[in-house]
Amino acid sequence: MDGIARTAVVAVAAAVIAGGGTAWVMETTGRSHPPQGGGAALPPEGAPARVPIGDLAGAAQASLPDNLPNPFEGNAGAAEEGHRLYDRMNCAGCHGYKAKGGMGPDLTDNHWRYGGTPVQIYKSIYEGRPKGMPAWGRALPSNSIWQLTSYIESLGGSFPPAQYHAGMQGDLGDQGAGTQGAGKGKNDK
Amino acid sequence: MPSDRLAGGKPLSRKGLLIAAALGSAFPIAAGYAAYSAYQGSRSAAAQPASLTGATADFAPNDPPGEWRSQARDYANTRFSPLGQVNRSNVARLKVAWTFSDGTMYGHEGAPLVIGDTMYVVSPYPNVAYALDLTKPGAPMKWSYDPKTSPVAIGKACCDAVLRGWAFADGKLIYNTLDAHTVAVDAKTGKEAWRTKMANVENGVTMTMAAFSTGDKVFVGNSGGEMGVSGWLAALDTKTGKELWRAYGTGPDNMTRIGSDFAPYYPWMRGRDLGVSTWPSGMWKTGAASTWGFVSYDPATNLVYYGTSNPGPRVPAQRPGDNLFSSTVFARDANTGMAKWAYQYTPHDEWDYDGVNEHMLLNIPWQGQRRDVLVHLDRNGFAYTIDRRTGQVLVAGQYGYQNWSSGIDLRTGRPIVRPEMEPKIGQKLERVCPPDIGTKDWQPPAFSPRTGLVYAGIFNICMDLTDHAVSYIPGTPYDGMEMKRYPASGGNWGAFIAWDPVRGRKLWEIPEKFMVMSGVVATAGDLVFYGTVDGWFRAVDAWSGKVLWSQKLSSGIIGQPITYQGPDGRQYVAVFAGVGGAAMVSKDEPGFPPRGGTLYVFSIDGQSPSSSAGMLVTSPSGTASLSDETQQGRH
Repeated sequence: MDGIARTAVVAVAAAVIAGGGTAWVMETTGRSHPPQGGGAALPPEGAPARVPIGDLAGAAQASLPDNLPNPFEGNAGAAEEGHRLYDRMNCAGCHGYKAKGGMGPDLTDNHWRYGGTPVQIYKSIYEGRPKGMPAWGRALPSNSIWQLTSYIESLGGSFPPAQYHAGMQGDLGDQGAGTQGAGKGKNDK
Repeated sequence: MPSDRLAGGKPLSRKGLLIAAALGSAFPIAAGYAAYSAYQGSRSAAAQPASLTGATADFAPNDPPGEWRSQARDYANTRFSPLGQVNRSNVARLKVAWTFSDGTMYGHEGAPLVIGDTMYVVSPYPNVAYALDLTKPGAPMKWSYDPKTSPVAIGKACCDAVLRGWAFADGKLIYNTLDAHTVAVDAKTGKEAWRTKMANVENGVTMTMAAFSTGDKVFVGNSGGEMGVSGWLAALDTKTGKELWRAYGTGPDNMTRIGSDFAPYYPWMRGRDLGVSTWPSGMWKTGAASTWGFVSYDPATNLVYYGTSNPGPRVPAQRPGDNLFSSTVFARDANTGMAKWAYQYTPHDEWDYDGVNEHMLLNIPWQGQRRDVLVHLDRNGFAYTIDRRTGQVLVAGQYGYQNWSSGIDLRTGRPIVRPEMEPKIGQKLERVCPPDIGTKDWQPPAFSPRTGLVYAGIFNICMDLTDHAVSYIPGTPYDGMEMKRYPASGGNWGAFIAWDPVRGRKLWEIPEKFMVMSGVVATAGDLVFYGTVDGWFRAVDAWSGKVLWSQKLSSGIIGQPITYQGPDGRQYVAVFAGVGGAAMVSKDEPGFPPRGGTLYVFSIDGQSPSSSAGMLVTSPSGTASLSDETQQGRH
């Protein structure tokens, strides 16, 4: 597994260089680290890894940082930078330039197979998902993935950090944090 | 001049108008055809009317009339069945005889095969196969086979997790799985005979095309024109699955399998390593030219014909040049894969028009002589009739609305591009017609040697297009096209047409609210069958275009209808209902149906061994696929 993952990283890096994309990747990385304005510290390395994809059983529930907030919360520039990354890393190719879905799912609605809180979205980007979502954790620095998360949060379909269990239990329906977004409840997949 | 009308189309004559009125929903456009009028005049006579065009075909391998052994029924890709039990006089009595759900919900673009007394169906992802016993009530399952296709492939497929059919050869069903393997299954037992890995799905290579077989070979190719893949067609040994040759769509001549006997008709396609030199440095490596349409075969010359996809990335500003051999038809020797000739339909494809649509092999009267041709309705809006020995374009007629070109220059073979329709990065270009999926997509037409006409489902759509610069990152789209698609006119997303491949004219057209993205079958009963994206399955008079019968099915129809004769002697017509694929571009339209995955089988009055009054019978059956994605319902 590690071998494959390493090969993939090298391939991405090589391809970006081959494609003449080095400049913007470096630029993106340099400019966004450390976070502009907000000055929020990134969560400790490995904290998101302790947030499970599955639901919880027994006493383990209490010890996990499932309400981990986005360190860029309140940082308007983060969503903008995330949007830039979203286009540049070809996220738009699958999820659409308006994030309404295409090859991949709609990111603006309230349906989240792998969870809609910031840390869950972070994990989906970092780890990848089994139906063709690549694992970006090997190609992008942590702050870039949080910025991508900020952008997705800005689309209105995500859930607040404290709603982790409500989302998992199906309590939110169309009433997630995204209700401020336009046209909620009209997106079915 | 771009035009909503056919190039060269004549206004309807008074006589034409009378015919139009008599035909109800059909609209003869090039009325006044002498032969057509003659047919109308002699209708009371019992004699079969003469073909309207004189076009014929070779129906090799001449399979038994009641069977449907390959996806297009014959090497020439006519999809013509010699069955005539169901005909214009009784088609209105068609009713459902029985149905079969394969348990999957992605777009159902394939068709069943009928070999002997067994029907074989294969599903979209996860590509589960079934054998159904046609001799027993209820057509019970003989076996099911699950290739355990990797779910990673779902997100790498541009246009839904589809499969467009399969091949039968050497006692085996041979097909492509979405995760870029080719598998062979013993038709008797349902056991896997071999499995060949063709590519790495993690890099965005999927396989959706219908495998095609002739002799001891099966031909397969890759999808991924939106993923910066390297495109190819490969020949495998049907006995072992061993790869015999692989011909790439781009690259140096040794990769594209171009040698000294390569003789394209047009000089601009001749030269050394054009698959490299018509690209900016190195970009051919991610230049796509993949192979996801149908393959046809001419036994007289041992040549296979197929088309290649759009170039990658889809943003043309990033790849100046003709980008050979994308959006191109190749004629290749079936034994060696060496190219005999090629013709690029859309040089430097700027709109994702591809060249993958089928090549129907017909023989036509041409200036007093017989010419062996291929007929190809390209996504770019032009229908080509090309000499299949030389690659010379004889006819290039507009079969639907387009505005990117003012015509094909038959002297050079090149389209005349309207400069104002060329996209620029970051600038929104409004009303480009057709959009990426074309005036017609992969959905295969049919040909009737009785009428001499080609029948096709088409689109009537445009796009607003904004190109974005993209970088190549393996396993992600190398795409950059942001689009909004909508009907070109009149609120009709599609139509069904009859095409004269000799004169290059549309004879009649049936407008449809939604796209017509189904295959077509033509029969000796002078019927043509097609389905619509909103789920109507129709039978049409092959001569007049009059709709004789329609039936609403449970989901949209993007599958390929077939017809066969059951062991009970009855003629059946079968089609899958299961919307998906590129039809999803209209999913926001009111009336767009939910997905599904049900095969419908029709017969006169719905009669079959599967139903009768007071019937109390069941048949022993094999076990359904227990895949998580099908029987378990865990998607």
